[in-house]
Amino acid sequence: MAVTSAETGFDLTLTEEQEQAQRTARDFATERVLPRAAEIDEQGKIPRELLAEMGRLGFMGTYVPERYGGSGLDAVCYVLIVEEINRACASTGVVLCSHVSLAVDPILQFGTEEQKQRYLPALATGERIGCFALSEPASGSDAAAMRTSARREGDGWVLNGTKNFITNGSIGDVAVVFAQTDPPERHKGIAAFIVEKSVPGFSVGKLERKLGIRGSDTAQLLFQDCRVPAANLLGEVGEGFKIALSTLDGGRISIAAQAVGIARACLEDSLAYAKQREAFGKKIADFQAIQWMLADMATEIDAARLLTWRAAALKDAGEDHILAAAEAKLFASDVAVKAARDCVQIFGGYGYLKDFPAERHYRDAKITEIYEGTSEIMKLVIAEEILKE
Amino acid sequence: MKILIPLKQVPDSTVRVSVAPDGKSIKTEGITWSISPYDEYAIEMALERKDDDPSTVVSVVTVGPARSRDALRQALAMGCDDASIVIADEAIPPVAIARALAKVIEDAKPDLVLCGKQASDDDQGFIGPALAEVLGWPHVATITKAVPADGSVELWREVEGGHEVWTARLPALATVHKSEKEPRYPSLPGIMKAKKKEIPERPFTALGVDSSGPMLEVLSMEPPPARGAGKILKDGDPRHLADQLATALRDEAKVL
Repeated sequence: MAVTSAETGFDLTLTEEQEQAQRTARDFATERVLPRAAEIDEQGKIPRELLAEMGRLGFMGTYVPERYGGSGLDAVCYVLIVEEINRACASTGVVLCSHVSLAVDPILQFGTEEQKQRYLPALATGERIGCFALSEPASGSDAAAMRTSARREGDGWVLNGTKNFITNGSIGDVAVVFAQTDPPERHKGIAAFIVEKSVPGFSVGKLERKLGIRGSDTAQLLFQDCRVPAANLLGEVGEGFKIALSTLDGGRISIAAQAVGIARACLEDSLAYAKQREAFGKKIADFQAIQWMLADMATEIDAARLLTWRAAALKDAGEDHILAAAEAKLFASDVAVKAARDCVQIFGGYGYLKDFPAERHYRDAKITEIYEGTSEIMKLVIAEEILKE
Repeated sequence: MKILIPLKQVPDSTVRVSVAPDGKSIKTEGITWSISPYDEYAIEMALERKDDDPSTVVSVVTVGPARSRDALRQALAMGCDDASIVIADEAIPPVAIARALAKVIEDAKPDLVLCGKQASDDDQGFIGPALAEVLGWPHVATITKAVPADGSVELWREVEGGHEVWTARLPALATVHKSEKEPRYPSLPGIMKAKKKEIPERPFTALGVDSSGPMLEVLSMEPPPARGAGKILKDGDPRHLADQLATALRDEAKVL
């Protein structure tokens, strides 16, 4: 275990494997992803072969056990990798985050042995991409108000409804879909299903045009009398809401890691620029106004990273990580947005141009305060946890 | 086919090198260490053989301090089959390192030994040819491709305007300039596989090889002088500019 856990005491040392995983991810991100980040943003799509390469390196199933075709590492390794990929490109990073945390993770946590054998090997190697379908046009944070319905029919289920804002929605091959089986029961009537893209009645609706993370696809998913075999029910009927919340707890750790990655990109790009740009006869890094921004960024990034590592270590230890994940996500997303704002400011006029990366970081950072639970929802979660004692 | 790669752990190419207080070495505290880049090409070349023929066995070995294990672990994570280390904490004459490697090779009996053409720290390029000499094996330098044939190997070298192809009887040794593809990243499953492998170690002194030999001594080390500002010639017609350029190259840069 890398960080604070009850058994090992306070230890921030990464294991040899965690360091190696971080290094592989850093080398790959620097050499293969970073040079394409601007183009991915501009064209609004990620080369599929880049995702395949991430699959071959084992990133798409970092903490899936080896017996299900995964890499058999841990959630700490995973956040290290997520930070590195997002440092290079937040669009590519979120494909990884959504795939692992929101599609692979619930199948791993709640799937039957048969479901794990059937779905995890192809997902863990990135051969198939996963997505998570919870939000709807009229229900985001208030997930229990969902209208997508699941009706029992013969030996299966029939799904009807529309899901919105689905990351990996169009490139995904397998979706974890939440639907209401009994509306008066509200959240107690929700069930989760593993739905394959090829199933009749399942189609992709419009693709959203976004401010940032433009290379990642955000799609509407449509279910029209979509028949799903009973064997694809994930967990029990009525357990869907619990599965969604538990999945999002893990997802928040990965978005926190994404935010740390984006913030680090802001810091590293700012440092490089401030050391070479001159004004009034000296480097702008020599001005205290710039130094203070850089010092704040560095300190806040370290703090956000430590919160993220702690949440991941708790997840690895099988301990409750609701509070830790919400704190990490709330803080890290705030740090990313502020770092991006300061990065643009340090770059000055050039920060406003598409020719420099600051502008992309500024657009990419904002989403981390919104998806997988807004900052406001994070505060509700944190307040609930600290008030319940 | 059995391929063995002697590798060296060196400061990573991203390390900003600075001179240590003794004025004769570089600061090594807290720096990142890596497999020397040409050794990585040698590993990649061997692993490409293994991709084509899974019965190929790829071994790595190093002579160096205990920290060099990390480099071996990285090679295993890239896909090498086994690794071993000869622990040597003190500086050893390069020819004695070649003797130690020869001893390891006599035990391991590889068909082909691939060395990086030179290590990126001291750039001496000594070990490969010296090792071939100690072993009494044929040696081809700076290859870019190795194609095994029956009992021999075809070794390709880049030369001005084309390439040369040599055939060597096995066992043979070649030093590697570049592999066909860029060296692969260690994958996460590879890292987990590597974790489970033992890396046997032997102290240099246990090999019973002659440790004498000439040693180079570094007298002093200093960073290169800071580069002065460049000069842009822009006034005048091409003939006049060419005159100015030639004068500057001869009188100022002193390269003509």
